[in-house]
Amino acid sequence: MNELIQFDLSLIMPEIFVLSMAMVVLMTDLFIKPSSRWIIYSLSQLTLLGSTYLTGKDFAEETQFAFSNMFVRDGLADFLKMISYLGISLTFLYSRSYMKDRGLYRGEYFALVLFALLGMMIMISSHNMLLVYMGLELLSLCLYSITALDRDNQKATESAIKYFVLGALASGLLLYGMSMIYGATSSLDIGIISTTLFNHPTDHSILVLGLVFVLAGLAFKLGAVPFQMWVPDVYEGAPSSIAMLISSVPKLAAFAITIRLLADGLQSMIIDWKEMLLIMAVLSISIGNITAIAQKNIKRMYAYSTISHIGFILFGVMSGSLNGYASSLFYVASYMLMTLVSFAILMIMSNKNFECELIEDFKGLNKRSPWYAFLMLIVMLSMAGIPPTIGFYAKFMVLQAALEAGFVGFVIYAVMMVLVGMFYYLRIVKLMYFDEPKVKGKIEASLDVQWVLSLNALSLLIIGLVPYTFMEATTQAISLSLN
Amino acid sequence: MIGLSHYLILAAILFTISVVGIFLNRKNIIILLMSIELMLLAVNINFIAFSYYLNDIAGQIFVFFILTIAAAESAIGLAIIVLIFRNTRSINVDDLNRLSG
Amino acid sequence: MIEFKDFVFYALSFVLVASGLSVITSRNPVTAALSLVLAFFNAAGIWLLLQAEFLAIVLVLVYVGAVMVLFLFVVMMLDINLDKLREGFWDYLPMAGFIGLLMMVEMVLVFKTKEFNLSPVDDSLKSISNTEVIGNTLYSTYVLPFELASVVLLIAIVSAIALTLRDRKDSKKINSSDQINIKRQDRVRLVAMKSEEKYVKSKTKDRK
Repeated sequence: MNELIQFDLSLIMPEIFVLSMAMVVLMTDLFIKPSSRWIIYSLSQLTLLGSTYLTGKDFAEETQFAFSNMFVRDGLADFLKMISYLGISLTFLYSRSYMKDRGLYRGEYFALVLFALLGMMIMISSHNMLLVYMGLELLSLCLYSITALDRDNQKATESAIKYFVLGALASGLLLYGMSMIYGATSSLDIGIISTTLFNHPTDHSILVLGLVFVLAGLAFKLGAVPFQMWVPDVYEGAPSSIAMLISSVPKLAAFAITIRLLADGLQSMIIDWKEMLLIMAVLSISIGNITAIAQKNIKRMYAYSTISHIGFILFGVMSGSLNGYASSLFYVASYMLMTLVSFAILMIMSNKNFECELIEDFKGLNKRSPWYAFLMLIVMLSMAGIPPTIGFYAKFMVLQAALEAGFVGFVIYAVMMVLVGMFYYLRIVKLMYFDEPKVKGKIEASLDVQWVLSLNALSLLIIGLVPYTFMEATTQAISLSLN
Repeated sequence: MIGLSHYLILAAILFTISVVGIFLNRKNIIILLMSIELMLLAVNINFIAFSYYLNDIAGQIFVFFILTIAAAESAIGLAIIVLIFRNTRSINVDDLNRLSG
Repeated sequence: MIEFKDFVFYALSFVLVASGLSVITSRNPVTAALSLVLAFFNAAGIWLLLQAEFLAIVLVLVYVGAVMVLFLFVVMMLDINLDKLREGFWDYLPMAGFIGLLMMVEMVLVFKTKEFNLSPVDDSLKSISNTEVIGNTLYSTYVLPFELASVVLLIAIVSAIALTLRDRKDSKKINSSDQINIKRQDRVRLVAMKSEEKYVKSKTKDRK
């Protein structure tokens, strides 16, 4: 018994570490002066470094279960966790001076982000519907309150309440679906659900009903059409640093629970969820790309671009093959790298008295700072899916998997939508290089931000040139966990 | 004789009432939150009914956690509402027009 | 002949549905909150029929005792203009009612299936106390979510405080080191101005 508990605890060491450090951060903040907040910042970065070490130390080669099969540690989980640490670490770094300027550089911010990270880690590793729900709520509750953290900012509080109401509604839908699945299979464990459905196909109508509600809840959390209405409002209303947090790492966790619930638990119902995902994916790609063209606010444009990216991720999941899941994983990871850079440049261009949020603000960026203009160029090309960037390979792999699954017509349609999407990405490139700057003034950033940002943006290009190692890592992560 | 389907239908009716409530009270955030509580109540009735008829305790455990988390959720929701009221002196959704959504 | 248990079920569910309707249609948020309390009481009664005694008591204690009081507190604290909030209620009603009816009919059709008319099972699970079973399972199989629930509550505490706690506006507290370190140029501003001629002239007139 004792050994069993020790084994369980050794598997969730990274989670325990993140939780304890979040509490340390929370307590330390009480005892230090506002001028020495760098201590909190370094503690948070140290937490991420430590958890990277703990996860990397015994990187899961095979699937291991803990806590009565509730918690799973496999290749997929460890891969996603590693990328999440990276994403959160970059978020802290990029948003540092932006948050300082707006008086949001507080201890609670760091603690809540670390708690949110814990929620994401739980979601990534959950193998039980109860744990999926717990992790999801842990993440969502943190995100709601982080969105409202700038409490005198009317836009931010408004977007927080919108996010909250729609998020709570989504949780309600997800739970209703879970209760149906529980009723039909008499278990909460994803593994048992999978085998029960495989061995005795039970009453179909109730399962389909449950599936519809679960999918609606997941689509809300991912931000896929027709449940996308919160995405632009939250991106626009929340401070840029927080919009960056919401748009980047949580998508990895949402992807993880989608894979766990659909590809693992409800594997036998693939015919049913394939069609529903197909509709959501096609609608997301079209509405995301077409509406983005009409936007004047760059954050709203990013939001619609996110919706279209989510559509592509669902395209990969919908293919229903290991190849498809791996391509989606590749897509979601590269999406995170891209979106971090895009928001980071937005924040660098803002300063204490100026909030960069209109597309016009990018006019003549090349004259003000050629290097940042170049970095932005890479991101825009990557988001548009132009070779040799990482975004091209991500889209290519997803569409290839969909082609193998026999969705020829929809692949052609998606390619057309990619062409539509190029319009608004390239418009920014045009503004940066061929227009006269509207605002003068140098763009300043601290040295570490400059270096890491350049590295991050160049990695989009470098991985794009040699994508094979990264691709193999994703394929291996998927094939180790689902077979 | 009352069977499982009676309980499920009761939960479905409650669930529908809460969805309709969300549609009707788009302007009043407090009643929106109450509708969401009603929705969770419907989910809980579902879980408990399944737990009883399947003779499996896991459903009741799930309800225990839903109750805990819903309490935390409503605390945060009400805190955000208080913030909004401080900023705008109103909880009418129409007055929330800073975002063009 | 209706059994007594069936009668209790129908009575409780009738009041539950009626109070649910009252929550979403009432003019006054206080009425809505009180109707929700009634709904929770009836739901607790239904859970007692399903032999979930522990959860029924928890529902009354936690929900009616804590969460609904919090709701009432906020409703009373905020000075809400009721009439404005009701605008457009009747415009949405036909559409919402139609969608609701459609949803309900579909779900009822699904749940009407024969397979679900399982008869209740009586066995060892019911012979020990419900609280004991829940406790045993909660602290063994479900210990991980149990710990996580405590983290969720901690987050609720931290964020509710971070969002709403403010320094008092009427506080007379002064930072003494700021006061000592104050410099003359922070407080006094010397302005070079021309003397206003109109004013000077009128003065001289008066003297004459």
